Parts: sequence; structure tokens; C-alpha cells
Amino acid sequence: MTMSRETDRTGAAPRTLAEELRARPDQALAALLRARPDLLSPVPGDLTQLATRAATRASVARALDRLDRFALQTAEALAVAPDPCPYDTLAALLTGDEPDDPRITDSLPRAVATLRQQALLWGPEDRLRLVRTVRDLLAPTPARPSPTGLGPTVAEATAGMSPGRLQQLLAAAGLPATHDPVTAVTALTELFEDRARLAALLRTAPAEARQVLDRLLWGPPYGTVTADPAPHLRWLLDRGLLLPTAPGAVVLPREVAMHLRAGRAHRHPEPVPPVLAPVTERSPATVDATAAGEALTALSTVEELLSDWETTGPLVLRAGGLSVRDLKRTATVLDCAEQTAAFWAELAHAAGLLASDGEVDERYAPTPAYDDWLQLPPERRWAHLATAWLATTRTPGLAGGKDAKGRTLAALGPGLDRTAAPEVRRRVLGLLASLAPGAAVPAEAVLARLAWEHPAGQESRARLARQALAEAELLGVTGRGALASPGRALLAGDDPAPALAPLLPEPLDHVLLQADLTAVAPGPLHRPLAQTLGVLADIESKGGATVYRFSPDSVRRALDAGRTAAELLAFLTEHSRTPVPQPLSYLIEDVARRHGTLRVGAAASYLRCDDEALLNELLADRRSAPLRLRRLAPTVLAAQAGPEELLTGLRAMGYAPAAESAEGNVLITRPDAHRTPPRSAPVPVQEGPPAPDATLLDAAVRAIRAGDRAATAERKPASTATTGGLPRTGSAETLATMQAAVLTGTTLWIGYVNADGAASQRVIAPVKVEGGFVTAYDHTADEVRTYPLHRITGVAELADETAS
Amino acid sequence: MNGSLIVQSDKTLLLEVDHEQADACRRAIAPFAELERAPEHIHTYRITPLGLWNARAAGHDAEQVVDALVTHSRYPVPHALLVDIAETMDRYGRLRLLKHPTHGLVLESSDRPVLEEVLRSKRIQPLVGARIDDDTVAVHPSERGQIKQMLLKLGWPAEDLAGYVDGEAHPIELREDGWALRPYQRQAVDGFWHGGSGVVVLPCGAGKTLVGAGAMAEAKATTLILVTNTVSARQWKHELIKRTSLTESEIGEYSGARKEIRPVTIATYQVLTTKRKGIYPHLELFDSRDWGLVVYDEVHLLPAPVFKFTADLQARRRLGLTATLVREDGRESDVFSLIGPKRFDAPWKEIEAQGYIAPADCVEVRVSLTDGERLAYATAEAEEKYRYCATTDSKRKVTEALVRRHRGQQTLVIGQYIDQLDELGEHLGAPVIKGETTNAQREKLFDAFRAGEISVLVVSKVANFSIDLPEATVAIQVSGTFGSRQEEAQRLGRVLRPKADGHEARFYSVVARDTIDQDFAAHRQRFLAEQGYAYRIVDAHELLAADEDV
Repeated sequence: MTMSRETDRTGAAPRTLAEELRARPDQALAALLRARPDLLSPVPGDLTQLATRAATRASVARALDRLDRFALQTAEALAVAPDPCPYDTLAALLTGDEPDDPRITDSLPRAVATLRQQALLWGPEDRLRLVRTVRDLLAPTPARPSPTGLGPTVAEATAGMSPGRLQQLLAAAGLPATHDPVTAVTALTELFEDRARLAALLRTAPAEARQVLDRLLWGPPYGTVTADPAPHLRWLLDRGLLLPTAPGAVVLPREVAMHLRAGRAHRHPEPVPPVLAPVTERSPATVDATAAGEALTALSTVEELLSDWETTGPLVLRAGGLSVRDLKRTATVLDCAEQTAAFWAELAHAAGLLASDGEVDERYAPTPAYDDWLQLPPERRWAHLATAWLATTRTPGLAGGKDAKGRTLAALGPGLDRTAAPEVRRRVLGLLASLAPGAAVPAEAVLARLAWEHPAGQESRARLARQALAEAELLGVTGRGALASPGRALLAGDDPAPALAPLLPEPLDHVLLQADLTAVAPGPLHRPLAQTLGVLADIESKGGATVYRFSPDSVRRALDAGRTAAELLAFLTEHSRTPVPQPLSYLIEDVARRHGTLRVGAAASYLRCDDEALLNELLADRRSAPLRLRRLAPTVLAAQAGPEELLTGLRAMGYAPAAESAEGNVLITRPDAHRTPPRSAPVPVQEGPPAPDATLLDAAVRAIRAGDRAATAERKPASTATTGGLPRTGSAETLATMQAAVLTGTTLWIGYVNADGAASQRVIAPVKVEGGFVTAYDHTADEVRTYPLHRITGVAELADETAS
Repeated sequence: MNGSLIVQSDKTLLLEVDHEQADACRRAIAPFAELERAPEHIHTYRITPLGLWNARAAGHDAEQVVDALVTHSRYPVPHALLVDIAETMDRYGRLRLLKHPTHGLVLESSDRPVLEEVLRSKRIQPLVGARIDDDTVAVHPSERGQIKQMLLKLGWPAEDLAGYVDGEAHPIELREDGWALRPYQRQAVDGFWHGGSGVVVLPCGAGKTLVGAGAMAEAKATTLILVTNTVSARQWKHELIKRTSLTESEIGEYSGARKEIRPVTIATYQVLTTKRKGIYPHLELFDSRDWGLVVYDEVHLLPAPVFKFTADLQARRRLGLTATLVREDGRESDVFSLIGPKRFDAPWKEIEAQGYIAPADCVEVRVSLTDGERLAYATAEAEEKYRYCATTDSKRKVTEALVRRHRGQQTLVIGQYIDQLDELGEHLGAPVIKGETTNAQREKLFDAFRAGEISVLVVSKVANFSIDLPEATVAIQVSGTFGSRQEEAQRLGRVLRPKADGHEARFYSVVARDTIDQDFAAHRQRFLAEQGYAYRIVDAHELLAADEDV
């Protein structure tokens, strides 16, 4: 079996792609399947099938899309080269007549190997063949020039031209007349391919004619002429240097263009990827610290977003997603751009912290997983977000744009999934990871490299890459443009939390209180402290530190939440590193003194107050009219307005009323946090088949090989006459051969009839024979199977088995 | 991770005052960040485009700014902020106003696209003349100020390097006999002189007049001084005669009462902005002499017409003096483009710490209104509410009690409403100075107050600005121009002059509890609280009870 392959490789050149594939080692097949996973579904039956499938238009187009720029340029050059094409001719196409760039010569073998590995190219070095579909896709047609900007050949362009006209061309070009069109075309082609003769011809061209040629030189090679062309155009047309393609349209034949290009297929061959430069070296510590700062900001922003949405989350649009107004509002709350707000919402959604609640009035709300997430230490919370980000196919950067049908793309809505996003994201980070720690390059350098690696669809990939870079910075995966160590761990598939933990500042348990009624937390606070302060004061400025401002409203909010003045003061004293300033304690006491002076009942919507004068004042105040207050007793007023309206109205008038329960207790108002039912995080959307893993590849290669062997194995003529292709042997001989095969471990070819009566041929390696059954590894099915002996029509040894 | 500075993403900088490196950090960030609040522990600075351009004008570059932030920051500085700073600073000086040897005033650019961009603006087109070459365009000399204003609005502030005319020379010397410019005053003068034109920010009572005198002594040229009112004009004159070689005959007063034009002329904003038949007849004062220096006192009060005329004065050196760059009308950018960038700044507390202004104890006295007053307040028309609660009898009684409490100390009672002041004057037996009081009468009363012949003076808002009452140790504010922060600063300034015996000044604000008066007071005080003048709040009845005990 090994020998037969040896023979193939050293013997006659393969005649088809399938033959060449058959000769390739298993690793090469595995590499092909890894590079073009679409060939794997379903697993092809044998190598002929694989080769056919690899040459289908859809599969080839997909493969071409994934080529790097130089491999693609090589394929493009091959598409305009003769078929088959010797390696040296190909090299000359890329380097031109006078090779001046050693990098091309150095890189070409790699590019050829890539094409060959992807089964886009086959044949020995002296007869390189591009798979026909590839040539079709890349070669110029009258309607579409090749990516090289070269037009059709003389032969292609003159097809259909009258023989008389051809002879005229020959005459004008100074060639002797020939007796048929075929030789005429050959003569013309030979003239155009001969550098010296063509140069001599062109020297006689008028200057304007040269300019016309120069204009068409690098493509597109098409031009238009009027019915009565100018003399210089006439000169070119007469000599076939421009050939008509349609009335009024002309093309520059490929051979002429190649001459003018000095034999180069590409104007700018790009043999090596652009280097990532200029590199800015920063100290890794600075980068890590910056990234950690951003990471911390990211955590607080996500928390801020979700805590904002937990009371009344935004409605889900009928078409899905977040309305523009809600996004704007959220952006205001988070104090960031709308695009950034969309990013945070999408991030929370991708991480499974946010979902729609699935109720009639569908709203977004945090999921129960959010509560669990909140309990985690910060580095774990970040790891959760970052992992979700790395894998998500969502592209919030597109939110606010329009889709193909002109509909606005809503954040969290449909149409924002881009399957290439995770791959691009990984690649961008991978490029950053290839630099030294702390090193950063401009986004343009990264984009240029990506465009080289993936010329196909580079605009959309560049957009994804820009977004990935911006998001990485926001999330703290990178810091000042360089990959930080937690980001590096994340990319490597390790847990980033241990790398992040030492970079985060220790949470503080104190704030600094100041007489201007502010409190400054000079760093992140312990969670309970931050929560209480968040109720007691308004946040004025965020960042590394937090500035809180106390106001009567904020203090009232804390009192409304059930705190007493004494508790609040004790809390502040405990957590302040400095004495509580007099104006602050006065503020709290003053608000507390007034807090609850007015009590509002829900049952009858009443207003009672021990201070008669205040009620007088209230009744006298014209602003209270909409509340329709009526005095019930010296200290009690009734209102026609509902308690809520009454509360708001009174507060608007500058009072601090407290709501009261039926028992006369002060109601504690704290909005209930809203949660969705349990939700799992969305799974990233995948396009095409998933990347195969090693086990799958291995199995696939073996299956193809086996199927191939079954299909192509040369059979030893059976000892008894075979009919209908199935081996036929007597049952005794079958049993004996089977038993022998178990001992020697040989592979057999059997004829088999299944329960439905369908006959098939299989290649099996018997493992044991007992109880009328043979257990064998079936190469055709690529698994161990058991066959009843009575169903086996006959056995034969494989030809090569005997040979060895 | 132990710097003294925290850089917030909203471009505020928090400086921990008690940190050992706080002083170094303050010096590093002062050139480009505006001190916004200076309470006791954490000072807040803000980075604004104007601040960054001020720094550029003073010769700092983005590298220094970024370095200062990165060096002193406790936490990593957000990258976006650094990028933004670099970009903003980079905008200053792309365009320069120069004096061209043949074409006169020109606008030159080192960045052609920027020049193209601004020249396409409709508002710039009428201000420029012929294109001289790709990078240069002529500017009408009369539009030097206009174009600077416009370019700033477009976000491309121009650097004015076109220089100044020397003006008519006039000998002026400082007479430093028995006194000398304080170190910060000297720094302010130098900062201004090297910068050419610009604004010096010093707290009330820190001797801004002397900075003006110092600048005049540097210029040695005829000088036009613009001040807020006549009293202030007289004080400038008095001070200049005392501190410099100038004599009475060299200094003219150009006010409602007198129209003298002399080598040094002191004019009031009021007379300049008097409009007759649709024109400002007195604005020609600016052209009446070849001034070498124009001094603007209290720049934050500079009226709009003066801005307009200042735009035409760009070839003359301009010095702005003020206690705060905060303008209630938000025209800070006009001050920047027309007078010039900030050249010197010193926070109040720093100068107080050096002993040049007196420490002050600020107290807000909360007065509970009587039931009758509360009812009346609730029924008052919205526009009458403040007036009513600010002038209640309860407040008057408390004010009287406060005056009694500080009997024997020089006390000022300051208010907004004339009725209230008259009533207070009557009850306290003290003279009242208000708008209708003649200047002669005012001077007489001020002199008597200075001499200690009278110890209580009731003044209206006419005394808000620039009057010098050295021995006032107690000020009681009963009402004000609603929530004006700058008025509060001015009034506090009345008691901040250093006292002969060095004892602490008192500043009382009497406020009616649970009314709009209280809200306005909170707004007014915010500025001072942010400057580190912490208010104590006391209840009036506690204060009165304490008095009765004594």
C-alpha cells in the first residue's frame, strides 16, 4: 500500500488533481481540509469526489477569498499564463523581464505551496496547472478584465474576426500573409511576444499612439473609439495593437500589454506582508496599568448601565433591538457617545447579563446571571465580559447605520451579526501579540497587514478591525494601543483573571468629605460603601476617583430609603478619613428635620401635618390647586389627587413629604429591581462549517483514503469466476480467508448483501470471526462493524496486499 | 500608584492637598488647568480648550502637559484624554498673525489645509484681504481683534505675534519707599510683560492695583485705565499717586462728572458705554491719545460694547485684572481672544497662607420665618418671592442682633433692596450709602468709617466693587442679586484686606429658612466654598440665645 503511493510520486506525473491528491501524504490532505473546511460537509466518499468538490465554483471562490495577497497575485498571474505553466515562467511573470526584487523570488515558493496545499494548483514544477475553475474566475473575459488589468490574448480577441481582416493586420504589422486564420493569429501572437520585434514596431508608432497604450497599460485595458478613429488610433487598430471587441470598443491584447509592462503581471507585486510599524515602545507596566484602569471603568460602566435598566428597562422594538431614543438616553446616562453606549449594551447582552424579559410589554432587563456576576471579584467579572467579547459575532459599531434595505440597524437588534468579527478580532489582537510586550503600532499598520492577509472583502474587514481595536481599548484588553498582559492571556485562551487581579487598585473603605458638600472617593470603593453613598449623594464625576455631591434631594432620597439622620451621620463619620464638615451635618439634620413633616396616605390620599401653619401655607399656595387639597382637621388635609401625584406636586413646591402606610408608618420607597427569567448568553452566530479539529480531520482523511482505496483498488482476479463485480467464493473459502486475515492482519475486499438485498463492495480488516459473524474495521465506512458471514458473497485479497 | 493627582475621564483633575507632592503637582498642572474648586482636602482643576491654549500661549507644549499628568497621576490616565489634549493643543499656533515687512498684518499658516478651512468660512472672508502666497493671507489691520475672535470660535485660535505699538512714552516709576511689590505681584507683572497682553487673576484684596502700577512702570507710556465706577477710579488715582512717580496733574479722570484726558487717564465703564442717539460718544477716548497700555480692571465685568471697541485696539498692550475668570455671561472666550490669555493666577488660599489677605470666618445664619411671614411668602407672586423673603422682619431683627453682637467693630451691612437698607439704617442708627448718594457724600462717609468715627455702614450694591474699606472686620449680607457667585466673592473681598491687629474677619449671610433665599444663598456660596472658604451654618435662634446668655 505504501509502495503504490511511492510509485505514484516518483512515476509518471499525475494526470488529474485527484491523482495528485491521492499521491499526497495524509498530513497534506488534513491541511487541505483544514484550510477549506467546507469540503468536509459532507465528508467526501473518495479522492475523486474530493477533487471534484474542491473544483466547484462556490468552494473555489471561498478559497480564493481566504488567500493572502501574494498567493492571490500568484494565482492571478497563473490565470494569465499558459496552461500548464512552468515555474520559471510564473516567476518571470511576477518579477518581470529583469528581476529586481529578491523578495519575490524568495516568497514565490511559499505562495505556490499555499495554492497547491489548498488544491487550487497541481502538477509538477515544470507543468503547474491552475484548477480550471480558478482560471475561469481569475482570467480576463471580454466583459471583465483580470485583476491584473490584462485583457484577452490575441487569439481570444480575434476569435470571430474575418480572415480578410486578419490578413490586413498581418500586412500592416509587416508580416507575410498566411493561408489560414489560425496561422495568421499565431504569427501575430509570435510578433507580439517577441520583445525585440515588437519594440521595433512600436518605435515607429506616433507619439499619441504611445500615450494611448500607456493609458491602457495597467488596466482596465478597454477603450472606446468613434466610427472614424483619429490617425494615431487608426495606426494601432491597423496593426492589431488594439483589437475591436464590439462596435466602438477596443481592447489592448494581453501580449502587447505584457510587452509594455516588461513582462510583469502586476504593477505592484506584494511578496511580503507589510511590517507592523512604526512601533511605539511603552513600558509594559504603563500599558498594563492603563488597561487595568480601562477595565475597571468598563466594569463600572456595565454595572451603571444595568442598574439604570433594572428599574424600567427600555422597550424592545417590535423588530427587535433598542430604539434610537433609548440609546440616546442611555448614552446620556453613561456620559458617552451613542456608539459606545451601544457597545456596552451589546457587551452586557453577549455576556448574558442582559436580555429581553419576554413579557407582553417586552423590555430589556438584567438577567439573574447579572446578580451572580455582581458577586464576583472584579477580575472575574472582567474575565467574563472579555471572554464573551472575544467570541461574539455582534458588531455594535454598525448600530445606527442602515442595512441593505435602508432600515436603521438598532443596537441589540437583528442585522448586527458579522461572522467574520471574532476571526478579525482574534487576528488583530494576534498581530498586537506578535509585538514585544508594551509595543503599539498605529491602527493603519494593523489594517494594512490585514488587507494583505485577506485582500477579499478588505473594506468590511478593515471596519471590523477598527471596531475591534476601539473596543479592545474600551474594554481594557489593550492599553494605549498595546496588548496588555490580561489581554494576552485572554487571547492565548488562558484565564485572564490572575493576570488582571494584581493590576487592579485595592478597593478603599473611606472617602474624603469636604465643606463644599462633596465627598471624594480617591479610588474604587468597597461595594456596600459605594451603594450607600450612591443613594445618599449624586455622582458628579467618575473615573479613577468618584466625586459625590450631597444635596437636599439626595439626602432626602436616603431618608426615603429608610435611613435616619443619625444613621447617615454615623455612616459618614465611620467612612470619612476627615471630620464630617459642619455644613454637611447641618444639611443632613436640616433635611431630616423637614423630612416626614408632611405625611401622605395612600388609602384616602390624605395629607396630614402637625404644623397647622404649614397646612395653611399649603392651602394658600396657588400651586397646590391641581392637587385639590381640602382641610379635614387642623392638622390633616385630604387630596383628590392620588398619593403619587400628591407627593410629586408637594415636592415640586419644595416640601419634603413622606408617604405613609395604612398603619401610619413611613413607607420606605425603594424601586424594585427588575429581572428577566433565567437566560443563557447568546451563542455567537457561525457562518459555514465550524473549523474542524484534529480528531475530525484525522477521521475524515482516513475515511476518504479508505473510500478511495475501495473505489480504486486493483483487485486480484478471484480464484473463482466473479460475476457482477462482486467477489464470489464458497462459504468454506470465505471463512478460511477471513480467519487467515485475522491472523495476518490483512485487508480484504468483500462482496456483501445487506438486509434489503442491496449488494455492495467493502474493504475490511477482520478483527475476529466467531458465531457466524465477522467483526472487522470497515475502511469504507471508517468504523468497526460486524457482518453475518452468510451475507458475504465472497472475499478477495487486495492486489497491493499480495504485492507486499 | 501613589501620585497626588487623579485624572477623571470628564477632564477634571482631583488634587489631594495633603499629599506630600501636592505642591509640585500644583505647579506642574497650574499652567494648563483651571482651578475650579479648592475646598479643604481635594482641589478640582478642569482641563478646557481655553486652558490648554493659555498654556500654549505661555510656551508649554502638549508633551509637558501629558508628562505632568502622567507623572503625578495616581491611576493610569485615560488614553483618549491624552490624545484629546495633544490634538487640542496642536490647534493653537497653526495660524499666526504676523507683521509682514511689505504687506502689513498677515495671517500665516504652517498647515495649509487649516488655512483653507478657515478661509472658506463665511465669517472669516470679510476680514481678510488678498492671498499673498499659499500659506499667507493679508488681514485688514482694523480686523485684528475680530479675526482672532472668529478663529477662536472656529477652534483654530491664532497666535498674535504682530507685536505692539510703543505708544506715547511717558516716564512712570514705582516709588518703593517703605514697601515693595509682593513676590506674587512681581511675578504677575513679569508674566504679563513677557506675554505682551493678557489677564492676571488675583483674589480681591490681593493688590491688583499695584500689579497695574507695576505694568505701567514697565511700559513707561501713556496709559488708559478702565474701571467699574467713579469711586474705584478715585482709588486708582489715589493709589497711583502714592505708589508711583506720577503726580496728580498727570492723572486724569474721565467719568460722568469730569472729562479729563491726561497721560494717565482713568475712565469708568459706565461713561464709555453711555449711549446717545444710537452711538457711544465717549468711545473716541480710545483714540484720543496714542496709548501705550490699556488696563482693564475687573475684566469679568467688562461690558459688551467695550469688548467691541477692544477688538480695534489689538495693536496696544492690554492688561486685564480680575479676581475670577468666571463670567456670569459666559464670554470667557472673548476675554481670551481680545484681552489675551491668562498670564498669572494664584489661588486665594495660597495668598491668604502667605498672610497678604486676612482669613475669614463665613457664617450663614438661618432665620426661621414667623407663621404669618410663611403664609405671605407662599402666596406671593413668583417674581416677588425673593424680595419678600429676603426682606422679612425676622431677618432684620437677626441682622440687628448681629450688629449688636459685634458692637465696636467696623461693620458693613450689605444689601440689595433700598427699602430694606433704609429701614436697617434707621433701626441701627447708621448712615446708608446707595445709588443716589453723591460721590462727595460717599467719600466723606467712607473716610469717617476708615477713621473709625462711625462703626456701622449700610451699603447697597454700589459698594460691591473696588471700594477700599481697610478696617471693615464684619460684613453682614442681608440680600443680594439673586444667586450671583461673583457678587458674593466681591462682598467677601470687603473684609479680606489684612487687618492691623491680624484678627479674623467675619462674613455673615442672613438667610430665610426654607425659602428661595436659601437656594440662592447655596448657589452664591458654592463659589466661595469651592475657593476653600467653608461656611458654617447656624440657626438664628441659637445665635440669639447665645447672645442673651452673654
